[in-house]
Amino acid sequence: MIKVEHLYKKFGSNEVLTDISTDIKKGEVVSIIGPSGSGKSTFLRCLNMLEIPTSGKVIINGQDLTGPKKDVQKIRQGIGMVFQHFHLFPHLTVLENLTYAPMKVKGESKSLAEEKARALLLRVGLAEKEKAYPSSLSGGQKQRVAIARALAMEPELMLFDEPTSALDPEMVKEVLDVMKDLAKSGMTMAVVTHEMGFAREVADRVLFLDHGILVEEGKPLEFFASPKTERARDFLEKVL
Amino acid sequence: MNLDFSQMVPYIPFILEGIWVTLKFVIVAIILGSILGTILALFKIGSIKPLRWFADAYTSIFRGTPLILQLMIIYYSIPQLTGYDISPFLSAILAFGLNSSAYISEIIRAGIQAVDKGQMEAAQALGIPYRAMMKDIILPQALKNILPALMNEFITLTKESAIVSTIGYLDLMRRAQVVGSDLFRNFEPLLFVGLIYWCLVMGLTVLGRMFERRLKQSD
Ligand SMILES: Nc1ncnc2c1ncn2[C@@H]1O[C@H](COP(=O)(O)OP(=O)(O)OP(=O)(O)O)[C@@H](O)[C@H]1O
Ligand SMILES: [Mg+2]
Repeated sequence: MIKVEHLYKKFGSNEVLTDISTDIKKGEVVSIIGPSGSGKSTFLRCLNMLEIPTSGKVIINGQDLTGPKKDVQKIRQGIGMVFQHFHLFPHLTVLENLTYAPMKVKGESKSLAEEKARALLLRVGLAEKEKAYPSSLSGGQKQRVAIARALAMEPELMLFDEPTSALDPEMVKEVLDVMKDLAKSGMTMAVVTHEMGFAREVADRVLFLDHGILVEEGKPLEFFASPKTERARDFLEKVL
Repeated sequence: MNLDFSQMVPYIPFILEGIWVTLKFVIVAIILGSILGTILALFKIGSIKPLRWFADAYTSIFRGTPLILQLMIIYYSIPQLTGYDISPFLSAILAFGLNSSAYISEIIRAGIQAVDKGQMEAAQALGIPYRAMMKDIILPQALKNILPALMNEFITLTKESAIVSTIGYLDLMRRAQVVGSDLFRNFEPLLFVGLIYWCLVMGLTVLGRMFERRLKQSD
């Protein structure tokens, strides 16, 4: 479904991603881990063109996002993204946060968009909050709304950038549970995370980035039990 | 010290008419300034370089020279260059509208850029087109930053409007001078229009506070 070929990204003279190639198959859940500043967010953001790669290819469903003739907006509609700091629209209610893009971008009717939004809120356990404004929600609730907002566009792929890093510890589980549920339903997911538990239990594959290089990838069981590279061993020693 | 307002009484209607004369061009100038200012602000935050340069140069010129000079140049140079005999009213609208658009564009630009960058990224990630994102997501949030500063700009404009008296436009200020030279007493009419200016500015201030309170309610 996603094919990344020889991806490079530079900010000025600072090379943040170096020659990254990998595939993500339909329905696969991939965890991206690595030290701070290793380029995890940048890699994720290259997958929906929030960052423009310096060179290399990102091909999603046969469409080359880096090619000359591409409709970035159209492509982004099929890719949901969840941010560390939620970025809900503060001047809209929870329900409006979910219905705005489907109505505006896909031209859905209000009643259809609301019906689907309510079903999604039920799914993330926030049915009673539809009239609330984001500022009145807890961090965990905000992140669940943000996930629901992304799902409202019915994406084929979901990107998560440290979705639980800004949360109080007692709220991490409610968000991870929603993500696990989503993984079980067959969603293709790329998840940057510091939650090694999530990577181990839920992910089908782990990508380990260090200094912008894809140092190692593998099945979580193997990767966590016996990392092949020195750098991955060092990193795991520090975080586990 | 002998203040005597009694001689002024017959002139009061003449002075009060000046309120409308002043307000008329201030309001038109504010509208013109706001429209141009919004366009310039969009140029400044947009990605089209020539437009950005134009907006920056425009702002730099209008903020970098005295308003009274801009007014004089418009009033005297247009007849000289084009033969079109421009009225004081039109000159005043042009000078104040063009000048305040430079300030307003800065206020709007700063207000938009103060909106969390994550808002734009979230909108982009959802595939929302640029115009819709600006109109429905960014500008409503920017308005909270913009409104107080905009109110200040309108107040400044109302007070500075007095300099149109220098091109003979019969505004409040000019009327005070006319009455003053009629009576050979300047202090009383000046004091009187001073009070009127103060009331106008207070009115604007109260209006601004009301707006702000209504915006805050959605928090
Ligand atoms: N917009 C930018 N402009 C310049 N440099 C950037 C930009 N975004 C990221 N960088 C740099 O790129 C490098 C990788 O950043 P990135 O955010 O991808 O790392 P990360 O692995 O997500 O780190 P963290 O775990 O702290 O989120 C860092 O050195 C960062 O300073
Ligand atoms: Mg990051």
